[in-house]
Amino acid sequence: MAKAKNDVLQGTLALLVLKTLERGPMHGYGVTLRIQQVSNDFLRVEEGSLYPALHRMEQDGWIAAEWGVSENNRRARYYRLTAVGRKQLAEEEKNWAMLTWAVAAVIQLA
Amino acid sequence: MSLFARLRGLWRRDQLDADLNEELRSHIAMRANDNVAARMNAQEARYDARRRFGNSTLLQEDTRQMDLIGWLETGLQDFRYAIRVLRKNPGFTAVALLTLAIGIGANTAIFSVVNGVLLRPLPFPKQDQLMMVWERDTDGTRTNTGWPTFVDWNKDNHSFTGIAALSFWTPTFISSHDAENLIGFRASAQFFDVMGVRPEYGRGFLPSEDIRGNNFVVVLSHSLWQRRFGSDPGTVGKPIQLGGRQYTIVGVLPADFPSVFSFDPRKAADIYTPLAYDASLPYACRNCRHLRAVARLRDGVSMSQASTDMSQISENLFHAHPKEYSASGIILTPLKDYLVGDVKPLLWALLGSVGFVLLIACVNVANLLLAWGARRQREVALRAALGAGRTRMIRQFLTESLSLSVLGGALGLLLAKGGLAVVQDLRLGNLPRIENIRLDGWAFAFTLGISLLTGLIFGVAPALRASKVDLNASLKEGGKSTAGKERHRLRDLLVVADVALALVLLTGAGLMMKSFARLLDVKPGFEPSHTLTMGISLWGSKAADAPAVAFFDQVLERVRALPGVEAAAVVSQLPLGGNMDRYGIHVEGKSAPNPEDDPSADRYSISPDYLRAMRIPLLSGREFNETDRVDAPKVVLVNEAFAREFWPAGDAVGKRLRFGDDKGPLRIVVGVAGDVLHNGLDAPHTLQVYLPNTQFTDSDVLLVVRTANDPASIAGAVRHEIAAVDSQAPVTDVFTMDEVVAASVAKQRFGVLLFAVFAAIALVLASVGIYGVISYGVAQRTNEIGIRMALGAEKRDVLAMIVGEGMKPALLGAAVGIAAAFALTRLLATLLYGVKPGDPVTFVTMSAILVGVALLACYVPARRAAKVDPIVALRYE
Repeated sequence: MAKAKNDVLQGTLALLVLKTLERGPMHGYGVTLRIQQVSNDFLRVEEGSLYPALHRMEQDGWIAAEWGVSENNRRARYYRLTAVGRKQLAEEEKNWAMLTWAVAAVIQLA
Repeated sequence: MSLFARLRGLWRRDQLDADLNEELRSHIAMRANDNVAARMNAQEARYDARRRFGNSTLLQEDTRQMDLIGWLETGLQDFRYAIRVLRKNPGFTAVALLTLAIGIGANTAIFSVVNGVLLRPLPFPKQDQLMMVWERDTDGTRTNTGWPTFVDWNKDNHSFTGIAALSFWTPTFISSHDAENLIGFRASAQFFDVMGVRPEYGRGFLPSEDIRGNNFVVVLSHSLWQRRFGSDPGTVGKPIQLGGRQYTIVGVLPADFPSVFSFDPRKAADIYTPLAYDASLPYACRNCRHLRAVARLRDGVSMSQASTDMSQISENLFHAHPKEYSASGIILTPLKDYLVGDVKPLLWALLGSVGFVLLIACVNVANLLLAWGARRQREVALRAALGAGRTRMIRQFLTESLSLSVLGGALGLLLAKGGLAVVQDLRLGNLPRIENIRLDGWAFAFTLGISLLTGLIFGVAPALRASKVDLNASLKEGGKSTAGKERHRLRDLLVVADVALALVLLTGAGLMMKSFARLLDVKPGFEPSHTLTMGISLWGSKAADAPAVAFFDQVLERVRALPGVEAAAVVSQLPLGGNMDRYGIHVEGKSAPNPEDDPSADRYSISPDYLRAMRIPLLSGREFNETDRVDAPKVVLVNEAFAREFWPAGDAVGKRLRFGDDKGPLRIVVGVAGDVLHNGLDAPHTLQVYLPNTQFTDSDVLLVVRTANDPASIAGAVRHEIAAVDSQAPVTDVFTMDEVVAASVAKQRFGVLLFAVFAAIALVLASVGIYGVISYGVAQRTNEIGIRMALGAEKRDVLAMIVGEGMKPALLGAAVGIAAAFALTRLLATLLYGVKPGDPVTFVTMSAILVGVALLACYVPARRAAKVDPIVALRYE
């Protein structure tokens, strides 16, 4: 299995992708753009990480993919969240909240 | 990721690849589009879009690895690559494969033996329910049972579906043109039901046939039916002439019915007839124990429950007949333990020791791989630079070692097949169930299993090591692999392991050899060389006492007249021949209150010349002679142990004893003979009595001929003389006495032979391993050595340095080995005779041998190092 260069990033990437797809089906490029825009260019998703991650999430059943046509009339693979994916998203969001809370607490009080 | 998803991926592999490609292409196109919109020029836009992907091949590979197909495909690629690499290095590959083939092959062979003999269940339905039932003797050993006891057991027990009794039977098969002695059993009617076997043709015995007078029916073994009746299904119902009687064949056994009750595994039973016990005979007494009993547990009854049940029955019998049982008690033995219990410790010990051979093979191959890996640093660096990850590279190296080990295992299978053929053809070790030994699915699974395990064991460390590479250092032109400290330590560790493992095997083998030598040194009490023996059986009217004695006298007279014959005699059983013919002895005035408590002795009925023919010394009194006729006073010889037990004052001659029945005639002791080992060279001495064959006649005897020349050369002439007296007297078991003695230690010989072979392999492998490590080290350090010599080091210093560096781990290994051997050889204790597991002489000798070999293995490359020409060595820097 492809190993993430950085496990934290990899885990976060799944959360970001799932969250992005919560709004509706989107292709891989759209996901990168969306994350970049929403984060005000702060987060840039590496294509080298995105596709393996998408593929894995598809295999895990969190997302489903099908071919569609993009805004520019180009064939593109669209990903959408499955029921399992929604559950996973909730889980990841909770974890993330815990993590940020914990880190913030340490930063403030330690 | 679910396996299912990966499996599904297998079927749509092309689809996936195409999808992935297209998806990535569309992504790049969209990015380029946006870039153009952001006013980059077209080429720049595309370039940027592509660059964002980084290594797109790696990306594709990473993504594709999400599928099993990716895994498999990479595996296959790795395998192909491995094979290519191995083929390009034929020397390395050959050595590694040979080492592995020997290690794995030896293990497969021994495993097959263990599996066939010990593990595979007997081919009886619910074989775990089959039990041998024994009476317990005063000394706790198991003994046969007598007819009345057997009847009571059957009547009173609640544990068994049935108990069957067996006794030996050796009928003579008479055909129109020859006669043959068969090996058979008389078995009570329920025997085949107890065993759970249906005859292939016909039927087993009816209860009505288990009665004296109705018992002239037989069931044939499959092999006798093939050999003598041409596999004719119409054989059932036909008559068969056995000795002076005609029997009717009522059944033929299936081919897989093993003859589990023969004493000698080489002699499978040919034929069965009903026991039809004649309870009126004097030997139908309770203490006449000559029947063996086999029983089948009822469903749901455990062995311990049955044991409790039977013990109670035995207790009751003891109270009802206190004079006829010496002690109460029953021993149950699972049938399989009874069959193979003797060889169990030996076979497990062999499997253990052969495991060590494999470990040494692993160590050596690991060392080879390590050296090879070092030479491949450039290749590794190049692949790393081209984007191969470390995991990927470790995988590649492991694939190579697994390919090696699996190929080695395949070769090992061939070796094992050859080895097993030898064991079976020569019937090495006289193992029971030897016909069950074969390379079956279990053996293949075992081989595959240990091959993979082996590949992992010897592959992991070198793979981890080789994949760790400093790109800069390695790729530099002329950059040389520096022998790091860590690499050194790993190699030293391999030397330690080699030596330690080999030493454990060597001490084990040394102990076995010493024990075997001690065993062969044991004097059996007779002189086995220059002695020929063969069995003669009489049947029909010739088997009656007087005609039999007359017949043997006639044969002996003719044989004595042959050139080169020094003495000839007949005897009822041979020492070390595997027979067990013992009778109770009641010494006049020294009999126990309960005659059953009197001891028993080996009984030999002999013709007058027997002691001379066997060179058994006569210590006092006289031998038998022509005056000891059937109507003369009854006489007997006893052995030294017997005389010492009852007449320690040395006045045995003239004393009297009863033999067998405590109401029988008194026999006068006329002489004392030397002790003879009857049950084995490692068995204790037994009480023995000799009777003149005129006064106690057997119709099945063994002829013993002492010759001046090679005893085997006279066998034909002796047979000719027997045939001249009676052409229909079957002659069997023609052996020299040396062969009889050798056969009695066949199991021990088998053990010591294999131990020695394994130890020899271990020694060779270990020395090759040490040699490899040291000479590789020397080759790598040619420069360093050159510099040292240029700076004034003498050849002597270099020699000492290299040998010292090799011997340090070797000596450490020897120390570890001695400690391990000390712990492990204790497991051999039950197999050793006359030598203790911790025998210091063996330990010192074997350590010395191993250290000597290690020294040599270090010295040879060290000498090469000392010959290094500093000028040449430095020029290559």
